[in-house]
Amino acid sequence: MDPLLLGVIVAVATIIVLFSGVSVALGLLIVSTGFILIFDGMRSLELLPEILFGKLDNFALLAIPMFIIMGSSIASTRAGADLYEALERWLTRVPGGLVISNLGACALFAAMSGSSPATCAAIGKMGIPEMRKRGYPDGVAAGSIAAGGTLGILIPPSVTMIVYGIATETSIGRLFLAGVIPGLLLVLLFMIWSLYSTWQSGDKQLLNAGTYTWKQKFEILPRVLPFLGIIVGVLYAMYGGIATPSETAAVGALLCLLIAMIIYKLWNPKDLWIVLRDSTKESVMILFIIAAAGVFSYMLSSLMITQSIAEWIGTLDVNRWVLMGFVMLFLLVAGFFLPPVAVILMAAPILLPIITTAGFDPIWFAVVLTINMEIGLISPPVGLNLYVINGIAPDISLKTILKGSLPFVACMVIAIILLCIFPGLATWLPDVVMGKAI
Amino acid sequence: EELRLSHQWSNTDIRHQVAQMVADGVAEADVDLEISIFGTQSLFKAREQYRPLSRGLLDMTVLPLSYAGGQQPAFNLTLMPGLVKNHDHAARLSASPFMEALEEKMADDDVMVLVHGYLAGGFVGKDACITSPSDVEGLQTRAAGKAFEQMLAGAGASITSMSSSEIYSAMQTGILNAANTSSSSFVSYRIYEQAACYTPAADVALWFMYQPLLMNKSTFDGLNEDQQAALMAAAAEAEAFYLEEAKKQDAASVAVFEEAGVEIAEMTIEDFEAWRALAQETSYQAFVEEVPDGQELLDMALAVE
Amino acid sequence: MAGQSSAVESRTGNNLFLRGVAALSTFAGWCSAAMIVAAVAITCQMIFVRFVLNQSTIWQTEAVIYLAIGSTLIGLPYVQRLRGHVNVDLIPLALPKTARYYMCILTLSLSIAMVAVLLFYGYEHWHLTYERNWKSDTVWGVRLWIPYLALPVGFGLFLLQLIADLVAVILKIDKPFGLEDV
Ligand code: NA
Ligand code: NA
Repeated sequence: MDPLLLGVIVAVATIIVLFSGVSVALGLLIVSTGFILIFDGMRSLELLPEILFGKLDNFALLAIPMFIIMGSSIASTRAGADLYEALERWLTRVPGGLVISNLGACALFAAMSGSSPATCAAIGKMGIPEMRKRGYPDGVAAGSIAAGGTLGILIPPSVTMIVYGIATETSIGRLFLAGVIPGLLLVLLFMIWSLYSTWQSGDKQLLNAGTYTWKQKFEILPRVLPFLGIIVGVLYAMYGGIATPSETAAVGALLCLLIAMIIYKLWNPKDLWIVLRDSTKESVMILFIIAAAGVFSYMLSSLMITQSIAEWIGTLDVNRWVLMGFVMLFLLVAGFFLPPVAVILMAAPILLPIITTAGFDPIWFAVVLTINMEIGLISPPVGLNLYVINGIAPDISLKTILKGSLPFVACMVIAIILLCIFPGLATWLPDVVMGKAI
Repeated sequence: EELRLSHQWSNTDIRHQVAQMVADGVAEADVDLEISIFGTQSLFKAREQYRPLSRGLLDMTVLPLSYAGGQQPAFNLTLMPGLVKNHDHAARLSASPFMEALEEKMADDDVMVLVHGYLAGGFVGKDACITSPSDVEGLQTRAAGKAFEQMLAGAGASITSMSSSEIYSAMQTGILNAANTSSSSFVSYRIYEQAACYTPAADVALWFMYQPLLMNKSTFDGLNEDQQAALMAAAAEAEAFYLEEAKKQDAASVAVFEEAGVEIAEMTIEDFEAWRALAQETSYQAFVEEVPDGQELLDMALAVE
Repeated sequence: MAGQSSAVESRTGNNLFLRGVAALSTFAGWCSAAMIVAAVAITCQMIFVRFVLNQSTIWQTEAVIYLAIGSTLIGLPYVQRLRGHVNVDLIPLALPKTARYYMCILTLSLSIAMVAVLLFYGYEHWHLTYERNWKSDTVWGVRLWIPYLALPVGFGLFLLQLIADLVAVILKIDKPFGLEDV
């Protein structure tokens, strides 16, 4: 059979299976097993456990559970509230202080967590009720946190960058650095929109934050210092010659656990178990999808589908930006339905050769890809962050959350366009810190 | 009929070229046989290839045989310090009773060799040159291969393990002071940007790794005579090419490092003997203890002039 | 759906089988979490040994990888119990009650069949490594049957939890896909 036609059949089968409501990881395994059985024969099934095990047999992957522990241990404390409260006290001169502080806190938290749901939950638990209490529109309150939470995978550390780095053999340290400036750019765009929409909703009172005395400003600082310490410590370990990025994750996880226990008195075994339970839940889910996506890509490669698609796209005589447009459209649609790691693992082997042949920088592409995945996190039907917000504030309807998030999706699209015009936004920092790209 | 060949390298790598030569040769012979090459680990990961090969679930592969050393400890002899002196010596080893003994062990796994071949490698130091055992003392070192780790540890180096793709950033940030791997990996990972000194494989070299093109034996036996003949003919041609190119790789890596302004050091015969004496006490010793017929195999290898 | 703050467990009612499986899965969850904590500790120890003591780190990288794999495989049943494996529930949500019930039976049966296949071949693979006494090709040379044991154990417990989920839906103890009626 023509591999391209076979590819279409695999795509249709995958969509049908995944929409049946089966879990994403098992769905990918079911589709892969079916096609391996039909085209490679029964005996090939004995490769399944070895491929699954082999995909996980990678030291860099270990950073995923650890960067998740970093986030979830801090998320179980009052740290999120402390972060935005401190920011608010210091940002009194800035109009719209509270929503700005919340977004800033999301960005800071993102620098301590590799995942988006944890970032969302940590800041949202305190931030959303506080914003609503002070009269911010529900849509702005929920949307800003949902969107701010997505920064978890753009601002380093990032689980998706690790997965991309492994899938494409790109330096993880370099990828992390590439996310910094686009992350800050997104924060800025989010802030501008939040201010505008709050102002537009008519309640100008909101834009005037309360005033704080210097005493109030300084007394909250000690509560924020540990987090700045973690961020600086992790960055130093990573770029200062102490540990590789994957090893650094363990240092970060240990530091965060210790701070949660010592400063926030998270001593109770029951509370500690909640931290471990939440991180186990998220990291096992992600790692199993990674393993399953590995089997899926084995199937695609074994049936020559990957190679044929790449060849076929190579023969298309189109402008490189038209090509990039289609790639992003594909990523966007895939991101609507699938969690980021699944999209990256299934798409990277096919897309990367095409992207590099067309003259795009793989580091730059990682950033664009990540922002695409962020859009997926706050869009239906599978938008992890939407569900997190729904869990935090059950009385805000999903529709309101969604409507509140849409403008932030627009901000992300603007960021992608800016990155296309100025690729240096992504590549400049890694080049400065680590020298020109390999 | 279609055969599937899997390997871990990019399509500019010499080992891909060897596979491609065999595939092209067979295609030209027009014996109704086609070889599809799956490079860059697109089918199996590097260390996951041997078992599917031995089970007949993969037809062919090009891989460092020592990757299967956990399954057949005797294969660890194919990455032993100081066992091979230079490329011509390597070619003589490939045609010796020693290799026949190893091929018997491969046959137990239903595996056979189509193309023999060794590739050489050297050392890089971040701050200083590494030629004799005393040079590595106290350095954080990444070595390619179990036997080299044992020998370097014996010389007082600290051993740390990481994938070869991590060497660059680990040397850059100072986690690593020295590394040992193949000439081509040094070039493809651009290690010359981070090293102060390079000790390449020259007249004598310590690091040789046996990286043959293997095939499942039952699959080969199942082919008709014309197909087998075409495969063998193509393989013979590829083996000659492999040997010539392997020699060029070392010189080419020296040129790249020189151009990058890296100091080039040379290992003398005395250095080589010192390393080998050390290896005898460490890696050879460990090998002989681990493998029942290890001493016999080692003697067979050492007997090759 | 996977959310940080929500940890909705599948319901067991008073059914002994369901409660037994739930207890097993929870225990597996503890083991999974413990393995990750151990991996964190060992990685930190490795950095200390290398950076502060400037000594060799022979076994740590490998140990940590196997712990992470073990944690993932052994954690599967627990995450299933917490409904933590992400799915696309667009269609199930849109279906009427009866259709949703049968859809759930179908997807659970498919999942069970899939995991049974993994369990069978996982056991075979583990058994082979045990029988032939294969080791990893490193200086540490771990006997591979130890890390590979996570395959049959993890998939075995995962299979049990999936069967329990199916039983709970058939006995009407739990709702299909855990979705409440709207
Ligand atoms: Na982050
Ligand atoms: Na989505």
